[in-house]
Amino acid sequence: MRPLDYIAPKDAKEAVDLLLENSDSSCPLAGGTDLIVDLKHNPGNITMLVDVSCIEEFRGIKEIEEGLKIGSMVTFGEIMSSELCQKYIPAVIEGAHTVGAVQTRNLGTVGGNLVTCVPSADSAPSLMVLESIVTIIGTDGYKSMPIEDFFIGPRKTILKSHELLVNILIPKKNLSKPSKFLKHGLRKGQALALVNAAASMYLNKSDIISEPKIALGAVAPTPLRALKAEAFLEGKKYSEEVINEAAEIAVSEAKPIDDFRSSAKYRCDIIRTFTKRVLIQSADQAKQKN
Amino acid sequence: MKVEITVNGEKKIADVSPETTLLKMLRDEFDLTGAKLGCDVGDCGTCTVVVDGESVNSCLMLAARASGSEVLTIEGLATFQKLHPVQQKFEDLGALQCGYCGPGMIMSAKNLLDKNKSPSVDEIRDALAGNLCRCTGYTKMIEAIQEAAKEINTTNAL
Repeated sequence: MRPLDYIAPKDAKEAVDLLLENSDSSCPLAGGTDLIVDLKHNPGNITMLVDVSCIEEFRGIKEIEEGLKIGSMVTFGEIMSSELCQKYIPAVIEGAHTVGAVQTRNLGTVGGNLVTCVPSADSAPSLMVLESIVTIIGTDGYKSMPIEDFFIGPRKTILKSHELLVNILIPKKNLSKPSKFLKHGLRKGQALALVNAAASMYLNKSDIISEPKIALGAVAPTPLRALKAEAFLEGKKYSEEVINEAAEIAVSEAKPIDDFRSSAKYRCDIIRTFTKRVLIQSADQAKQKN
Repeated sequence: MKVEITVNGEKKIADVSPETTLLKMLRDEFDLTGAKLGCDVGDCGTCTVVVDGESVNSCLMLAARASGSEVLTIEGLATFQKLHPVQQKFEDLGALQCGYCGPGMIMSAKNLLDKNKSPSVDEIRDALAGNLCRCTGYTKMIEAIQEAAKEINTTNAL
């Protein structure tokens, strides 16, 4: 690796100031599982790392009045072993478990995964179907937004170069909501998703679907909510035909590409199958709760 | 920059450049060459060490980040008198061939057994997903880890 400066600021404000003062040459460092690889092979103009991983404000998983707050620098390993996550957001744990392997999950952070913003980010779909709110910090202080608004394009978020992701809030109304995440990769460990998918929904005693949410990864420039499929499902009575129809609509909303991992046509087949599976498994959970 | 860490129970200090990885510091500054440089991008796992109780790819972690931590490497497992049960069972069952993946594989296995006393085959496979072996096919490693788990549990029960 070529020579670099390394600074570990004590708090978020100091980190933002450092990144602003050195906006041409600096980059925030989270878990490093993507960034350190880039720096070894394709460093660009980065000569200074601002290590934000130990900033207290970005750490920890806390239950607060508004919901469950996950610090951006919480690792996937920490999410998987968190009792709060196991209790309230098992689909987020399912997503975390499919990231890399044990060693990378102990370094890699949920915030780093979201900020890196690849379309296949495994933490995104579950957080999206639980309507998570992200909070960022910059020179103007804090700003919050729905997680979908955070993603702009492949490897591009709404963050300016000096801004940082602070935390992710899963709203209280969606804690313990029936939900499911699935990923299709070429092997179980150390593989990027060809397609990943998550769903959440409620069913009432008469099997009427409410608040269905579907999110898909690696099928468009950013992780995608299948809004038309969701609108179709809202208020419908749960049945195999309704789920099949929703899956067809989800396929029509996705814009998968051909690449060296998979053809677009194969991705469409996976989207159809996985949308069905995450919906059916969410519904099964909802039925058990009734 | 100065980095102070505890390696295998011993306090150590090194003066390294900021871009130095933990792996490079262990090998070049402390002569602990057990952890290997393989892919250098976090795929192969032969650089695996345990930092504050969690296994990590030391090729992806900056030495500066590990400052103040307790690091366990393959050199910290055995004594002159006795191998660690995982090492012993790997030897008994012939779980390694060329051996290059061994230090990382054994550290991942050791860390698994610290957290899970009787792992299933699926749990062992999950724990080893970040350690690639191109010789063996993994079967004997999985058997060795199950045997090691039995031995550790028996010893602890005595």
